[in-house]
Amino acid sequence: MEASLGQQLTFWVLAAWVVGGALFTMTRRNPVTAVMSLVGTFFALAAVYASLSAHFLAVLQILVYAGAIMVLFIFVVMILNREEVTPVTARGLITRALGVFAGVYLTRVFVRVVVDSPGSGAPPRVPDSFGTVAAIGQLLFREFLYPFEAISLLLLVAIVGGVVISRSHQKEVAAEIAAERRKAIEEMAHAPYPAPADALAEAAAAPGHQAGGHH
Amino acid sequence: MPTHYYLTLSFVLFLVGTGGVLLRRNAIIVLMGIELQLNAGNLALLAYSRALGDEKGHVFAFIIIALAAAEAAVGLAILVGLFRSRQTVNLDEASLMKR
Repeated sequence: MEASLGQQLTFWVLAAWVVGGALFTMTRRNPVTAVMSLVGTFFALAAVYASLSAHFLAVLQILVYAGAIMVLFIFVVMILNREEVTPVTARGLITRALGVFAGVYLTRVFVRVVVDSPGSGAPPRVPDSFGTVAAIGQLLFREFLYPFEAISLLLLVAIVGGVVISRSHQKEVAAEIAAERRKAIEEMAHAPYPAPADALAEAAAAPGHQAGGHH
Repeated sequence: MPTHYYLTLSFVLFLVGTGGVLLRRNAIIVLMGIELQLNAGNLALLAYSRALGDEKGHVFAFIIIALAAAEAAVGLAILVGLFRSRQTVNLDEASLMKR
């Protein structure tokens, strides 16, 4: 079964959009431009998912990536917006040789995997419910219940970790300094020191007035 | 469309992401490259899932999206901490664990 002209056109437009957007993202010097073009790339990728009849994942891609993760990125970019002096580095002959070797090896593995994969023809027809929220939900809450719960644990740990790591330590340092000062004052107050003889006599003469409240 | 096309697209996307991770020195861009790599993996999972008519790949892709969210949150928090202590997000200048 040959793919129709509309399907082919859609795929090629989306593929060009995805690859072009990814290249544009990775070559930008300004991080804000990079984030914006990454959002566009993820929208195109969501369309590619939808063309694979993964409707639930397409919606999730837009919600989670274009919505949540990218907002996080934009916040951080705006906190620490520094343009880099040297955008690209590849130092040393050995590093470059290793990179080329890794690239060639990866391509070879990819070609072998694709040749062996069962996908040279058109994919088989699937029922209309393939990839819908109901179908994925059935799988998630029956067969993959424990991994699903593990995700929630992972997200909880990530939230707490993010808060702890990015917290400012200025207040803690100030509190430590204040505690040290309080301790020093306390020690000074309790340290025995030779009092003047007339002050002692005065305290003995008037009991209960000044000395009573302190100890 | 045949599955090969989607796999090739996934491979090219992964290569672009890997190039960004390896060559760029701005830590924010490197994190974006990691997101691209994760998305390339998702695309391959969904392509195979469609080719085999099995929805388990969708569940894996779902888990990977959640993992990417957690990774982005912790990674960006680390970047903020790094920037607080050294006033830079250049990875070459952040090669020591102590200040």
